[in-house]
Amino acid sequence: MCGEGVPRVVRYVTRKAVGWLLMIVVATNATYFLASWFLDPRSNFKELRPVRSESQIDRALAPYNLDPRVPLVHRWWDWLTSVSLHFDWGKSPTGVSVNGEVGYRALVSAELVVVATVLSVVIGVALGVYTAARQYGWADRVSQAVSIVVFNLPTSVAALAVVFVAIWLNQHAGLHFLYVAGENSPGVEGLLPMIGDRLLHLILPTLTLTLMGYVGYHLTQRSLLLDTLHADFVRTAQATGLTRSQAIRRHALRAALIPTAASVAFSVPAVFTGAVITETIFGWNGMGRYFIQTISKNDVHGAVATAAFAAALTAIGAILADIATVFLDPRVRVS
Amino acid sequence: MTLATPLPVPVPPADAEPVLSVRDLRISFPSEAGTVEAVRGVSFDLLPGRTLCIVGESGSGKSATAMGIMGLLPPTADLRGQVLLGGQGLIGLDDRALSKIRGNSIGMVFQDPLSALTPIFSVGRLLSDALRVHQDLTKRAAWEQAVELLDLVGIPDPRGRATAFPHEFSGGMRQRVVIAMAMANRPSVLVADEPTTALDVTVQAQILDVLRLAQQETGAGLVLITHDLGVVAGHADDVAVMYAGRIVEHAGVEELFHRPTMPYTARLLAVVPTVDGGTRRPLVPIGGEPPALVGLPDGCPFAPRCAVALDACRSDEPEPRHLTGHGHVACLRATEIVNGSLDPTGDAAPVGLPAPSGRAEAGEVVLRVEDLVKTFPLTKGALLKRRVGTLHAVNRVSFDLRAGETLGLVGESGSGKTTTLLEILRLRQPEGGRIEISGTDVGTIASSARVRELRQDVQLVMQDPLGALDPRMTVFHLLAEPLRAIGRDRESTRARVRELLTLVGLDDSVSDRFPAALSGGQRQRVGIARALATEPKLLALDEPLSALDVSVQAGVINLLARLKRELGLAYLVVAHDLAVVRYISDRIAVMYLGHIVETGDTEAIFSDPKHPYTRALLSAIPIPDPERERTRERVVLKGEQPNAARMPTGCVFVDRCPLYRLADEELRHRCRTQPPMPTSAAELPGHQYACHGV
Repeated sequence: MCGEGVPRVVRYVTRKAVGWLLMIVVATNATYFLASWFLDPRSNFKELRPVRSESQIDRALAPYNLDPRVPLVHRWWDWLTSVSLHFDWGKSPTGVSVNGEVGYRALVSAELVVVATVLSVVIGVALGVYTAARQYGWADRVSQAVSIVVFNLPTSVAALAVVFVAIWLNQHAGLHFLYVAGENSPGVEGLLPMIGDRLLHLILPTLTLTLMGYVGYHLTQRSLLLDTLHADFVRTAQATGLTRSQAIRRHALRAALIPTAASVAFSVPAVFTGAVITETIFGWNGMGRYFIQTISKNDVHGAVATAAFAAALTAIGAILADIATVFLDPRVRVS
Repeated sequence: MTLATPLPVPVPPADAEPVLSVRDLRISFPSEAGTVEAVRGVSFDLLPGRTLCIVGESGSGKSATAMGIMGLLPPTADLRGQVLLGGQGLIGLDDRALSKIRGNSIGMVFQDPLSALTPIFSVGRLLSDALRVHQDLTKRAAWEQAVELLDLVGIPDPRGRATAFPHEFSGGMRQRVVIAMAMANRPSVLVADEPTTALDVTVQAQILDVLRLAQQETGAGLVLITHDLGVVAGHADDVAVMYAGRIVEHAGVEELFHRPTMPYTARLLAVVPTVDGGTRRPLVPIGGEPPALVGLPDGCPFAPRCAVALDACRSDEPEPRHLTGHGHVACLRATEIVNGSLDPTGDAAPVGLPAPSGRAEAGEVVLRVEDLVKTFPLTKGALLKRRVGTLHAVNRVSFDLRAGETLGLVGESGSGKTTTLLEILRLRQPEGGRIEISGTDVGTIASSARVRELRQDVQLVMQDPLGALDPRMTVFHLLAEPLRAIGRDRESTRARVRELLTLVGLDDSVSDRFPAALSGGQRQRVGIARALATEPKLLALDEPLSALDVSVQAGVINLLARLKRELGLAYLVVAHDLAVVRYISDRIAVMYLGHIVETGDTEAIFSDPKHPYTRALLSAIPIPDPERERTRERVVLKGEQPNAARMPTGCVFVDRCPLYRLADEELRHRCRTQPPMPTSAAELPGHQYACHGV
């Protein structure tokens, strides 16, 4: 059964990936036209003194394939060929390479997001399972009250609260490793010290993102598990000789995890490009801030590249969700 | 297979040590209304190889007792007393210690096989997991044992089917798997909680045989919990009757059925509809309802319903007493009853059925169905649905129904009886054939106003009264709603609601209550009253009694009979319980796989069934009399009703037919190739059956 399963999964994933690739191409090109219509790089030059003439501005934009005198279709064709032949996503109106920016910022975001997402899911699901098994017990009531408060807390408030607590701790406990701003400290040399330094800077923003992320998983996992917890088949499993917690883990949880797996997979792109407030407060240059910047600075190529990046993440998320579902529910036949 | 032998009666050793002893078991749950005392001091012994049946109605505490023994009660439950399994006390053990015993020394079979198996694991995996919990086996060895177990409980092609998931099995097959799981580790005690309640009667007989096999195979003592006195008569060695959380009578099966001593037992036996014997005996309703288990008053809990209660019964609850030659009975007057000087049913007059002659013979035809056909497409594919087959749910069904007459549609689930009912209630042109209501062909109705008018003539009573009544409406509003829909004004609505409540035997005071505050029997009466609101000519009843307790059923049966007589109604009843159908129907149509295979007067069908399927169906119903139940010849059908997507070209029953197996080649050929036409029985023109072999 398992032997023939693996190539079938590969074939299934390949087919899905092709479909998603098509979707990404369509979405990215549509974004290109939308961005070109609505974002006007010329306005960046309007406030400069001395005042530039129209033709000066256009000439300044021409090298970056943003010259409004060239028909949109031509600009699109040039952009498309450079993307598909050289994987060059173009330049911002000031001449900064989009590839370089996105590459760097994606790594920065990944540092933030990967750890925080894993922590959110693990903590959220574990809490959900623990409290569902003790429905209406004191642990359930307390954790649910906390979660509901956190759920209603705006990110900025939570992040600032974390910062204040960290500063207070630093001052009173004599701690000096809770950095409240930046990705790294200047002047750290050597590979290992650099990694260590970056990790220390990561603590607070990760804490904030985890705090904001775990709540949803806790509350949904709790209610999902409560639905299957009282199912007859859990009782049957207990009757065969499993303890209550074994029966819950092996029989109830697996079915209840399927929707969570899908929601985790689909939330990844949102977290990647949506951690704007956390990034801003802690002074990290991630994808979230970049996305806002590209739009406010009329950076057509940057905005399109961000959109393409998010689309690619969505595709990866969807495929991961499918794989997780097949893995969790053997009734789902891959075909 | 046709099993035409009497049931084997196991001869268990009588002097063995009990495998399970329960002493003064008490279980209570906290609830919003107060502490529910579900079990109030239950004691019994179970000997190896013997079967103890616990009988009782819903809420009598029989399932709570089973769960208490298994240690599967919710954590909020309070459990006291003693449960000794092979000398080891189980109460007070923690979950970890109990889990070593569950599945190993005690196996359990649950009521609803459709939800008792984890849907995401194959049955082979479930079984091998159950084995590996208690035995140190390799995966392969456990799988081999699982296949053997599946074979033992009668799953065809066990090796191939072991990889299938629970949803790929029918209900009966799933229950076989559950039994296999329960017996996997050769427990010394098997507990079966209503193992056949959710199954069809023909499958019930098979499952009970498998359970007996499991018991023989493991030598276990069996605690069989049921509400069906027929099952008790056929399978029990000892019987414990539970009422309001206590065992009120505990005796050997012969003694109990021969001379029921607790008045409750006696009344219960008198109220069970039966299928055997030449005539229907009248049912004596017990009256009242089983008590709620919150804040029980002093005295015997059955006293308010008892016909022979004394004043002393109302002040003190009697303890179970041993009576020589009988067993234990918790009744103050047990000695009088057992020596025959007192009739425990009292002088409650049997509420007579309407005499057969009183039937309105010449009523007008209210409903005529001719060649009704209903199919469902079977489709495949996510985006583009391709039609891959056709499910023939109802196939050329014809009957007519006159005013003042009751027609019962009976058959196993999937036989198309409910679909037939729904097609009639739809009041639209059917897919094939004609439906005529009060002389109007529903296919010819053009305006929707006329459909609404016709709908007043046809009303429905549903199976589950709690689900059928909106929980947020009071009884008054529930009954007023259909009246407002037909445009009655406020004043006449109010008067009519009062009239309806009186009609179904309810007090005026219930009209401002919500359905949740009513008992099961009262709810079903409200359901009937609502159906009667628009003064219909035809009442369609979909399993009207199956959600009710036996002691309450009789009252509703009598109500339906009275209403029919007084209002000249026509009833179309769908039911799977043939015993009940016998008590309410004038005529019966037996359905199999969308076809009516036999139709005729009720008594003609019960006394002289012609079609082999009807015979098997009647024979599958257990009789609440141990002597007759254990000696009568039974026809046990092998297998289950086939899928209606692949219709046989000849007779639909051919795969399971016991006559076909005995038939000669020429007849077999006809059975396989020609659909049999309905033929009339020689002596009775109304009695028709479709069979080549009779």
